[in-house]
Amino acid sequence: MTSAVKVRKVGTDKPPTRASKFLQNRWAGLAGLLIALLAPFVNASPYALSVMTSAAVFVMLAAGLNIVVGYCGLLDLGYVAFFAVGAYTSGVLATRFDLPLPVTVPFVIVVTVIAGIVIGAPTLRLRSDYLAIVTLGFGEIIRITANNLDVTGGPSGIYGIPHLTESPVVFYYLTVVVVSLAVVGAARLGRSRLGRAWRFVREDEDAAEAMGVNTYRVKLAAYIAGAVWGGLAGVLFAAHLSAISPTSFTFLQSALVLMAVVLGGMGSIPGVVVGAVVISLLPEILRDLADYRFFLFGVLLIVVMLLRPQGLWPARSREVS
Amino acid sequence: MRAIPLKSLTPLVLLGLLTAGCGQGLLGGDDQAPKGNGPILLGMLIPQSGSEAAIGPYMSNAAQLAIDEINAKGGVLGRKLELKTADDACDAQSAVAGANKLVTEGVNVSVGGYCSGATLPTLPIFGKANIPMIIPAANSQELVDQKLKHVFLINGTGSQQAAAADKWMTKEGAKSVVLVHDNTSYSKDIALRTKALLDAPGGADAVLVETVTPKESDYSANVTNILAKKPDYVYWTGYFQEGGLIVRQLRQAGYKGHILLGDGSVSPKFIEIAGNDAAEGVYATMTQTPDTLEGAENWIASYKKKFGTDPGPYSNQAYDAVRLAAEAIGKAGGTDGTKVVAALEGIDGFPMFSGPLKFTPEHTLSNGGFQILVVKGGKFALQDSLK
Repeated sequence: MTSAVKVRKVGTDKPPTRASKFLQNRWAGLAGLLIALLAPFVNASPYALSVMTSAAVFVMLAAGLNIVVGYCGLLDLGYVAFFAVGAYTSGVLATRFDLPLPVTVPFVIVVTVIAGIVIGAPTLRLRSDYLAIVTLGFGEIIRITANNLDVTGGPSGIYGIPHLTESPVVFYYLTVVVVSLAVVGAARLGRSRLGRAWRFVREDEDAAEAMGVNTYRVKLAAYIAGAVWGGLAGVLFAAHLSAISPTSFTFLQSALVLMAVVLGGMGSIPGVVVGAVVISLLPEILRDLADYRFFLFGVLLIVVMLLRPQGLWPARSREVS
Repeated sequence: MRAIPLKSLTPLVLLGLLTAGCGQGLLGGDDQAPKGNGPILLGMLIPQSGSEAAIGPYMSNAAQLAIDEINAKGGVLGRKLELKTADDACDAQSAVAGANKLVTEGVNVSVGGYCSGATLPTLPIFGKANIPMIIPAANSQELVDQKLKHVFLINGTGSQQAAAADKWMTKEGAKSVVLVHDNTSYSKDIALRTKALLDAPGGADAVLVETVTPKESDYSANVTNILAKKPDYVYWTGYFQEGGLIVRQLRQAGYKGHILLGDGSVSPKFIEIAGNDAAEGVYATMTQTPDTLEGAENWIASYKKKFGTDPGPYSNQAYDAVRLAAEAIGKAGGTDGTKVVAALEGIDGFPMFSGPLKFTPEHTLSNGGFQILVVKGGKFALQDSLK
């Protein structure tokens, strides 16, 4: 590919290098999928599969939050609330009503949409900092509610959630497929008419409103889409762990997902995927360092943000500036 | 549309196929950890990070001590023992990853488990791999209620601890008791069971069950609620971090009555947080700790010599868990999970810190061995063995 490759016009000042061309290429996504599909051939131990499945679920969470934070620019500090709602809905239905997990999915979608509206409708009238504070509060409310209700099993949570498949390898592949669809779905959504409206709102809410965009409704749509993504990730999470408890849905978890989005590059799908993989795998890779694990994790994150302030794989605007 | 850069993908595919041939890949076949003459691996999930991180070393050090002692005597069945630890961070997700890690490393018996919430999701993982679990510390009733064949608890259970608390407070002539728990499964379990016992006619009455939110830095609202009931006994069933703060604030607010702690608060850190003055005279329900054991001086000395610190809470249970695992493997004549479980069920009168061991049909201790400690001069000391 050395000669005569047509340079596509993109809204950047610098001429694209070979690396950046590859990054913009749709094949980058396929290469990522291929790596995910081939990984079990390298290491299929229960530990590796467990960590990789968790990473895939985390990618889905980050893709969902990216819709809210990356596309629409709404700072959500309580995103894990939707993750919890999804996990608990499917967990409760599966253990108390003996429904198979796939059957719980429609219920999860309905419940998360309702949760998105209930949480989003009042809060999205707020802007920036205030929105962040209120979402932070809602995240905690969901967790503390789960901690105190009997139906959610209180502090010990729900255990004995049936596995989707007996084999962890099959479950890993299933997760990868679902997550890939979710990531592609989020990317397509970002390029739609609605996605354009989201970016418009992010760049200048007043201007968007003046141009006839119903900003409130557009923001609510982003919030609900993010909620559904988070809820479905919750189903995978519940199926993977077979037990869920409120300790999995703390503020730290929300912060980590947000960190994955920011670290990868807000609004950039490949960036968010890379960011999520880094954030979820790094603590496991550093596991042997025991006490220093989270210290080093923090240092590495700071280093990344210093070297690449726009994220590992920043978004490039398709609109010519 | 440009040509597919197949070239750039080929190395990836090749890499995948190459590595598949060896190691732990999907096509790599089922070569498990070496059986036969290699070391027998004992896995231990303990908190090494997070809010309960202080407990981890107490347990892993004691387990290592037991392993070294057994190895010095020639090991089990001619094989050495080896300890593998993994961090559960007292959180379900980390615990599942950690448990899978231990299974991958090929552990034969699990001797870990401190936080009940983190131990619960690991039960099916070890169960699927046919690995018996001897749980040294976690003791929530939910672990028992699942009636799993491979799970054994060597710490006293919530109901045994509640019975000890009821017995002590009745003996002390308490009239009105406030129960305080932090809504974690273990703590709530003890508080509600104690309430059920106290509510029986006669003796003390539970006037209030107060719930606190863990990890806060101010509990004055809860303290006000407690004081409003004018209790002569307050029973805190949670962990030491919140317990230290609550006791300090209770005393600062002028509470003069007695305070009783659950076993999760029995730690030198409790006294550190509460302060010596506030902690003095506080009682606790606790299984036997190294400090209160008769004839454990030699054991404490060898622990101290090896690790340079005193043993702490659950050191003795972790130590016993390893010894018990070794005993059961020896009796079973190998590391086969089913045989080890059968050997554990058959054990009768194995000497442990908590007394001669025999499991109940539910795989719990027939005798919880709870006793009453008191803080005296900045240390937990034995007050009443409740025998």
